[in-house]
Amino acid sequence: MATTIPTSAFIATPHRCSTGRSSAIWVQKAQFSASSSSLGVSLSLKRPSLRLVSVRCEANGAGMPVIPAQERWMYEESEINGPDIWNKTWYPKAADHVNTEKTWYIVDASDKILGRMASTIANYIRGKNLATYTPSVDMGAYVIVINAEKVAVSGQKRSQKLYRRHSGRPGGMKIETFDQLQKRIPERIVEHAVRGMLPKGRLGRTLFTHLKVYKGSEHPHQAQKPIPLPIRDKRIQFVKK
Amino acid sequence: MNKDKIFKLAKGFRGRAKNCIRIARERVEKALQYSYRDRRNKKRDMRSLWIERINAGTRLHGVNYGNFMHGLMKENIQLNRKVLSELAMHEPYSFKALVNVSRTTFPGNKAVPKKEGLSSIL
Repeated sequence: MATTIPTSAFIATPHRCSTGRSSAIWVQKAQFSASSSSLGVSLSLKRPSLRLVSVRCEANGAGMPVIPAQERWMYEESEINGPDIWNKTWYPKAADHVNTEKTWYIVDASDKILGRMASTIANYIRGKNLATYTPSVDMGAYVIVINAEKVAVSGQKRSQKLYRRHSGRPGGMKIETFDQLQKRIPERIVEHAVRGMLPKGRLGRTLFTHLKVYKGSEHPHQAQKPIPLPIRDKRIQFVKK
Repeated sequence: MNKDKIFKLAKGFRGRAKNCIRIARERVEKALQYSYRDRRNKKRDMRSLWIERINAGTRLHGVNYGNFMHGLMKENIQLNRKVLSELAMHEPYSFKALVNVSRTTFPGNKAVPKKEGLSSIL
């Protein structure tokens, strides 16, 4: 059964035709062909890692030249066997984080608790939900937030939560309550919340540009075909007491 | 160390630190101290990156990292975090098999449903 995964299959270095590594995997795939439909939903099939596996097979047939045993000392190991993926931690190449191929998600902010929603949004924008997460590279997705003026907060925060900003000059502190800011610029509330949860720095600023917040229920990104953001937090819906 | 060696190590430094010996010597000393410290930090950072990747990979299947590793330890599966993170990225079907193994051994801390009213005393 599944417990008898031969550990030798994982330690073996990839051969030229990568049959040694993949043979155990083909067995696993056959076992899970029945449940592949459930797997297909949870895995994003656009993942570059799957492309990595298939390209290596093709490359070994066509791109990688067969080097006779007598000449093998002249070449490096990576030229003979291909790149070593089991002993070096994977780092994304430029093709693995092209902005045009990233997923777009959409969230309806009506009656959602501000902080809980912002936390899930920040996780998806940063890419922490993906197994290919890299802290130094933008691997995350784009998120659209609609109905930002209907976002909810619990307790007395609606009249008591303060938003402060300072112009830099003495006496230049401006203070607004949640209520007042929501009347003035409702998008800024969600943006402020998510920006506080993203990393601060050059990468964090680029990540922030992947958040798109809109006031009504219309957004200009229909062409990107956004999918609903999967939210697993059970306490995110605002319940009026 | 003589000046040539210092300047060789100071390649790519900012401003006068790559040109002027007095400044370069300081920066190179600091750089060597950092590299000594970071050779040890690198091992920690890599392990934490593997754990983050494994966490993300298992959460796709509804299991968190802690319960997953507990299940693996119970089954005495000796795969290390480096290999597990590479599996999560490159061999998703095998990784799902591992998650199932862990889940059968240790299903995780199921939340106890709160009993309301009289049944909480009974």
